[in-house]
Amino acid sequence: MASEPPLLTMSGITKSFPGVRALDGVDLDVQPGEVHCLLGQNGAGKSTLIKVLAGAHQPDSGTINWRGAPVTLRSPIAAMRLGIATIYQELDLVEGLSVAENVYLGHEPTAAGFVVRRKGARASTAALLKRLGHPEIDPARLVGDLSAAHQQIVSMARALSHDVRLIVMDEPSAALDPDEVDNLFRIVGDLTADGVAVIYISHRLEEIRRIGDRVTVLKDGRAVAGGLPAKSTPTREVVALMTGRNVEYVFPERPVHDALPDPVLEVKGLAREGEFAPLDLTLRPGEIVGLAGLVGSGRSEILETIYGARKPTAGQVLVEGRRLKPGSVRDAVRAGLGLAPEERKAQALLMLESVTRNVSVSSMSRFSYGGWLDRSGEREAALKATRELSLRPDNPSVPVRTLSGGNQQKAVLARWLLRGCRVLLLDEPTRGVDVGARAELYAVIRRLADEGLAVLLVSSEVPEVLGLADRVLVLREGQVVHTAPAQELDEPRVLDLVMEGTPAS
Amino acid sequence: MPEFTSRRGLLFGTAAVGAGAFLTGCTSNESSDEPASNDQPAADDKPGKQVTIGFAGPQADHGWLNAINENAKSRAKKYKDVTLEITEGSNDTAAQIGQIETLINKKVDVLVILPADGKALTQIGLQAMRADIPVVNLDRIFNSPQAYRCWIGGDNYGMGLNAGHYIGEKLKDKKNARVIELAGLDNLELTQQRTQGFDAALKNYPNIKKVARQAADFTVESGQAKMSQLLQAQSNFDALWNHDDDQGVGALRAIDQAGRDDFLMVGGAGALSAFQAIKADDGVLKATVLYPPTMAASAIDLARALGQGKGVGGLAEFEIPASLTLYSAVVDKENVDQYMSTGFK
Amino acid sequence: MTQHASPPRDDTPKMSPMEGPSPWRALTARADVRTLSLLGVLAALIIIGGITKPDQFLDTRNLQLVLTQASVIGVVTVGMTFVIVSGGIDLSVGAIVALASVWATTVATQEFGFLGILFTSVIVGVGCGLVNGMLIAYGAMVPFIATLAMLASARGLALQITDGSTQVVTVQSVLDLGGRDSYILGIPPLVMVFAVVTVIGWLLLNRTTFGRRTVAVGGNAEAARLAGIDVRRQRLYLYLLSGLCCGIAAFLLVVLSGSGQNTNGNLYELDAIAAAIIGGTLLSGGRGTIVGSVLGVLIFTTITNIFALNNLQSDVQQIAKGAIIVAAVLVQRRTAHTT
Repeated sequence: MASEPPLLTMSGITKSFPGVRALDGVDLDVQPGEVHCLLGQNGAGKSTLIKVLAGAHQPDSGTINWRGAPVTLRSPIAAMRLGIATIYQELDLVEGLSVAENVYLGHEPTAAGFVVRRKGARASTAALLKRLGHPEIDPARLVGDLSAAHQQIVSMARALSHDVRLIVMDEPSAALDPDEVDNLFRIVGDLTADGVAVIYISHRLEEIRRIGDRVTVLKDGRAVAGGLPAKSTPTREVVALMTGRNVEYVFPERPVHDALPDPVLEVKGLAREGEFAPLDLTLRPGEIVGLAGLVGSGRSEILETIYGARKPTAGQVLVEGRRLKPGSVRDAVRAGLGLAPEERKAQALLMLESVTRNVSVSSMSRFSYGGWLDRSGEREAALKATRELSLRPDNPSVPVRTLSGGNQQKAVLARWLLRGCRVLLLDEPTRGVDVGARAELYAVIRRLADEGLAVLLVSSEVPEVLGLADRVLVLREGQVVHTAPAQELDEPRVLDLVMEGTPAS
Repeated sequence: MPEFTSRRGLLFGTAAVGAGAFLTGCTSNESSDEPASNDQPAADDKPGKQVTIGFAGPQADHGWLNAINENAKSRAKKYKDVTLEITEGSNDTAAQIGQIETLINKKVDVLVILPADGKALTQIGLQAMRADIPVVNLDRIFNSPQAYRCWIGGDNYGMGLNAGHYIGEKLKDKKNARVIELAGLDNLELTQQRTQGFDAALKNYPNIKKVARQAADFTVESGQAKMSQLLQAQSNFDALWNHDDDQGVGALRAIDQAGRDDFLMVGGAGALSAFQAIKADDGVLKATVLYPPTMAASAIDLARALGQGKGVGGLAEFEIPASLTLYSAVVDKENVDQYMSTGFK
Repeated sequence: MTQHASPPRDDTPKMSPMEGPSPWRALTARADVRTLSLLGVLAALIIIGGITKPDQFLDTRNLQLVLTQASVIGVVTVGMTFVIVSGGIDLSVGAIVALASVWATTVATQEFGFLGILFTSVIVGVGCGLVNGMLIAYGAMVPFIATLAMLASARGLALQITDGSTQVVTVQSVLDLGGRDSYILGIPPLVMVFAVVTVIGWLLLNRTTFGRRTVAVGGNAEAARLAGIDVRRQRLYLYLLSGLCCGIAAFLLVVLSGSGQNTNGNLYELDAIAAAIIGGTLLSGGRGTIVGSVLGVLIFTTITNIFALNNLQSDVQQIAKGAIIVAAVLVQRRTAHTT
């Protein structure tokens, strides 16, 4: 296989976004008919790389050779014309159109140049669906009425409706049942037998072992290993490649607790069907508990359910022995919970508003005299809270959108500090925060805990959980697979747990 | 106005002769349930064969249109040999087409249609005629004469003409007389026709100049707003013609608020409130030009005559005419009593 | 791999943001570019009016007239501004004004005199707002649809009440309120109501928790919810507020026109939205000013006045109105980019 000329060669691909270097000189080569797996942690640059390949992002530098000739992928259409199709994790189907219309969206078979030949489109869609092992999907049905798995099949049919030579699949198995995964693998086998190459992205090592030919590992925007044999490279080696770090964070020292006070937060059998299994958890003042797991392991869902932003299907949350009203954020906030959500801009911040207003938004009743706002009191309190967290710039009347990621996160923390909250729920607190600012944020979080807050920390960055938390719960597909003090765990071990699911000996 | 009243005799159903009989009862605020019109029938009163008349009009969201419906209903009630099938009333062309199709399917004997939009509903008129259902087209005219057997409606140009003549006669002896016009909704062709008629009449009086025109939209609110601006713009003028008595309520309000009484005002359409003001003669409103909703009563008479194969009383022909344009009489203090019962609310 | 060290404490001296800009600079900074540009437009219009019709335009009576004409739609626009700032829309304002004005002028209502008319206007407005608010906040209906439904039903109900006829007000005290004799120090009572509503609206939006919550809900409803704000209750209150403004406006309209008619408030929804947008309120929510909205209303009313004084016809007026909306939004986008 390696003797054939490569179908695709990407070399030295670099792509920067404001503040982040997402890709830093990545090389990748793909042979016709192979399944090439891309592996890497969240933020390693996988999705940026496939977006470059799909023509959705333009690289800052680097070259792409397609069947031996250099090409520029100016737009998704240009990529499609060459024969590169991408199936994204979030399916990009139009729910209000039929299956056939989706498959031929943008390249409808036409008569006289503009009349859509609906019958022709339906017939060839039916043929594609049959080839994909799902002849039962009616090409005339609305895509919105289909199951997630069937929608994925439609997405694949759309890719195949082009004269395709390379299909990129971004975590295609994430939404599928085991039988459907088998079907997916059969399809991948058929495609490669026809000489079509597949770039396959997955977190599940066992899948890579089953269908992969070669593996490229990305980390921090670089390809740390290219073209490893997928079936024979030891797990330990793959994991080590994924986790080896260039930057070592400085984590604050863990205080030694002789005896912690009584729990402030108790979670009993809390569950949401389809998202996470019944969970028990206690959190004491001064303690930081970490939840480690991959995307889709139910981490954020757990935090949001504790916080009342999602309604649990079972179980309860108690704060100092008082049961919270299920599904009520207001009750949770009143009881002393505070959430710094994962999507800061979408879920926490009022981007058009000043820092002051973002900080005071949860404590407005404190500055209200019969609805009338004490604005100078509000300003002073916000200033005090932001200073306590060394928020920069030291002027809370600037718009929050002008702040860096780390300082925006501090504004969210200041909100809960001002509110006087007892339990802080942190979801990916360093997402979008540059490396230099992380250490400071870690110090702030630890200090808040030392001052008596209980902190529940979710992060997909294993070192962060291990470095910051006192105790760690490891999640896999909505289930806690392991609980241990942070000192007793190391990163490869946690990665084994989150990927394989069984505690490695 | 004697020449106007003498010609009225040619018209049936609109200008009343016997209506004065129950006039006095109608001047109070109490409404008489029956919007009165002339009792004089189009054909004759003798009971004939049973006739089912289908009536389709627009939504009665305006006093005049409401009066149209009431006139049709009460007229039909008068005849033992007439059954009236009246539809909901809609301003939506498609909905009205549907309603008329239903009437056609019910096989009514005659249709009376006041279309929401004459041009847009021509096809349905043709369809009815082809189905051998004679159509009496009320007021808003269809595009094709084949779409109706008989058209009866008001005269917008004539309204403007008569208003202009009335004002012209009043100001005949005044040098450099200034006149202003408060028009109705400018989007409508009828507004343009009224203005054209008004301008044409004023041409006969070289001493009169129209100094301003603003368009309201038939609502009291717009009448008040536009009139107050006109009053501000024109510190002195001698006469005002307002196209519509409904918006005239607002116009009069604006005049009252501005404390102006130095001109004469002529209205349009023939609302009860306008008649009452003219009769009381304590304000600027001295006359109004009719656009009589009694035409709906006449349309019922015509439909009944068509259904029974009769002609029109007082005319020599065996058949009823193909087209009837009603006269836009001027109602002033002299003759207001006669019309009081036809005033709509 | 992980190291532990003592957290870096920040002890650098800080400048207080409390001390700083002079009052004048604070003032100019507060009156943002957009408000200034609106004032500029208004000033330009006044100059145009003054040049074309010096006698009629620059006249106390005309000022009273313009402000009076602005009062009814102005009060509606204040309510609409709150709704739009919260990220919603209220298409039913015109219909609510119609229904409230009609209900307040029925023969039965008029028997209760001045207070009966006032009370009925306000209650009908608030009632419609309550229905809107419940449907949107607790029925999870899209504001566009819920208020569109209200538009249709309120207009229908108004038509049913009147049968299409004009209900003339006979209560003398109500009629008197619209006349010149009731002006206080030359200010028409309607204009005073408008001014009071504007001031209260400004205070409510800028100085109270209610206003703050409104902005938060409009800026980012999900963030507001996760910050512990009762977003649904806030939405309910906002549509109630809009309904209340419609009720007040309906009463003003009854006073002004001396009647109630089912065609009242025609296209108020579009006028109010246009005025708010021109005033700098983001249609997507999260930002808006009462001052801007009121300036938007005054600009529209002044244009209409100048056109009427110059005897220009409706076609020209409509074209100019459209052009001004487009121009204002383009300017707004430019200033949004530069700030």
